Amino acid sequence: VKRGLRRLWEGRFWALALKELRQIRRDRRLTISLIVPPLLQILLFGFALDADVRDLRLGIVDESRTAESRELISVITENRTFRLDGSYPTTAALERALGAGHLDVGVVVPSDFARLRARGRPATVQVLLNAVNANTAQIAQGHVEGAVGWLNRRLDAARASANAGAAAEPPVADVSEGPALAASRVGPGRVEIRTAFLYNPGLVTAWFTVSGVFGTLIILNGSLVSAGTMIREKERGTVEQLLMTPASALEVIAAKILPLFVLLMGMAGLALAVAWLAFHVPFRGSLWLVLTACACCVLTGIGIGTFISTLARSANQTLLISFFVNPPLAALSGAFTPIEAMPRWIQPWTLLNPIAHFAAISRSVLVKGAGLEVVYPHLLALVGFSCLLVGISAWRFRRQLG
Amino acid sequence: MTRIIAQARKDLTQILRDRLALALALILPLGLTALLGTAISLTVTDIPLVIQDLDQTPLSRQYADAFRSSLTFRVVALPPATSPETALAVGRARAALIIPEHFAREIRRGRLAETQLLVDATDTNTALLTRGGADQITRAFAQQLGPAASSPTVYAATRLWFNPGREPRKFYGPGMFVLALSIFPPLLAALAMSREGEQKTILQVYVSSISAHEFLLGKILAGITIGLVQWFLVLALMFTLFGLRLAGDPTPLLVGSFLFLFCVVSFGSLVGAAIPNQAAAIQAVAMGGFLLAFLLSGLIFPVENIPAALRWISELVQARYFVVVVRDAFLQGGGWPAAWWAVLAIGIIGLVYYGLAWRTLRHMQVKA
Repeated sequence: VKRGLRRLWEGRFWALALKELRQIRRDRRLTISLIVPPLLQILLFGFALDADVRDLRLGIVDESRTAESRELISVITENRTFRLDGSYPTTAALERALGAGHLDVGVVVPSDFARLRARGRPATVQVLLNAVNANTAQIAQGHVEGAVGWLNRRLDAARASANAGAAAEPPVADVSEGPALAASRVGPGRVEIRTAFLYNPGLVTAWFTVSGVFGTLIILNGSLVSAGTMIREKERGTVEQLLMTPASALEVIAAKILPLFVLLMGMAGLALAVAWLAFHVPFRGSLWLVLTACACCVLTGIGIGTFISTLARSANQTLLISFFVNPPLAALSGAFTPIEAMPRWIQPWTLLNPIAHFAAISRSVLVKGAGLEVVYPHLLALVGFSCLLVGISAWRFRRQLG
Repeated sequence: MTRIIAQARKDLTQILRDRLALALALILPLGLTALLGTAISLTVTDIPLVIQDLDQTPLSRQYADAFRSSLTFRVVALPPATSPETALAVGRARAALIIPEHFAREIRRGRLAETQLLVDATDTNTALLTRGGADQITRAFAQQLGPAASSPTVYAATRLWFNPGREPRKFYGPGMFVLALSIFPPLLAALAMSREGEQKTILQVYVSSISAHEFLLGKILAGITIGLVQWFLVLALMFTLFGLRLAGDPTPLLVGSFLFLFCVVSFGSLVGAAIPNQAAAIQAVAMGGFLLAFLLSGLIFPVENIPAALRWISELVQARYFVVVVRDAFLQGGGWPAAWWAVLAIGIIGLVYYGLAWRTLRHMQVKA
């Protein structure tokens, strides 16, 4: 009985699965959309999504025109955050340039800057920041303040060593650190904070985006491709032919899902290879864990796609319906922007988003080298989503067949 | 002219009859703009932080309290017998502050007290914000300590222009305005055009007396009409949900918007004429319109950060120029002097798309 059952299962099942595979292969558009969009997306996203703050255009009004003011400007432009774009004769000209969008930052050094500084009195430098981009403004402000703080400490140190002659502690040892390391080393009763960046010390943004976009890619493209294959029978009216075969509804569905699963896993592998080769994303944790999560993601994508195909009547309708599903899913996944930066009331909803769970897994495993003991809640959620979605869509598809 | 209007009326009727397309045209732009504009932000507040205080003195607790009371950080408890590194590894916290032993003693003796901040740099932008916040708190704390050490010689007075509260919504709202207008109008235009190819109705157009320009202008007129409705809806959202106001002369925005709609609808018509298959045309517009507008136009991430090898593509993307026009109208208020070149660029790209669409239209007969 067991052998007979197996033969029956295998023979019919494989025949159907092979038929699906051949159909997908012959559909040039589907083959293209399995390879081109994922590759293009991962490359574009990886290269273009970069929130790094660098090369901001800096304009200067130097009313002081002294060695001291030039020192200040060179300290601010020392690292690659700011790039000196031009000098302006008056503050009004600078403000006009800032308003017209020719500049990102303006610095006004007052005419009494050197005099006040020589007397040891506080000299105020005006910094105008174009804060249209809130994120850039915040980081740029930090850099300016850090640079000015660093200059202050150097001045303090110079004054202290001038006053005390040979000081006990060599205070200028940290000049090479540059203004970006806003660390106060000198002076009495100082507190310094040293920052160490773990897991991604070079601050490569692509590691964050690529490891997150990966899940978006699998689910969105997976759902589009599977909706395209699932709708075909309906669009061409071949459902009756399927009903006439001795295969049961479950066999038909399983035979439809299996080839899709294999092809989409191939696509996921391709994307992983690009992440590794083009962006050098470190594969610190277990690859099997990532692949398991990928498999769940692929199943989720197939589930979403099949569900959409049961709602639609034609291929272009599936695509239009997916417009209602995919962009919100992608935007609320934390793949492009951190979930923590979303408004408080949206954050719990991301728990219902499979892409968010996948992004958490792939980032923890690939970049941080975490194991199953850390990511198991996310993996469980993913398994739950894939079972639920495949179950619901299989049920709806079966009802359609009947 | 009457033929153009007749063609436009026919296309509008077709869209009005398709309930799915209508929902896509009117509800989705509103919903997506509202959702994306509110959800997308890079500025993390409440970064979870664990503090390991090895000193346990009033002074070290005062330092820890400075972190606790800041808006940037949210202090989470470090479970006993856990190292800060583990808290980061399991994702309990994004950063860990370690206050060493003898922290208070070193300060009181006038020596350097060095604390350490470990940052989970998986998310690089958040890592930078974390460092900036911690630096600021530490500087403020150091200044409170001794009056002798506290008078800085140079003082930077920073003024934040155009968005003084650094509200992310004011930056991303206009961006989503551009995104909605660069997806939905061309999508409907591509649908309308590829339908003619798919259902072979283009042959009827060929045998009728309408010229290619009239046919195309009619289609574009219908597309722009729907685009204008979307424009009004999304603009109303900008004024209400995002709290934006026009900062200056609104004429660059009006002219720019009209040209932009002409440009994207021509783009949609071009794609629809080139691909006589509705499903494939939708995918092409989604890829072209969405990806290019989302990634290569500076909506979220600065264009300057795109590698030079790819950056030239963004010069060809109409959304990149429209972003400049919209942000200028809502935030900077520079008017024509600041935005004329962007409006001009949108017009030129639109004319190029129109020309290409007209050329492709002449070959549709062969395909059908």
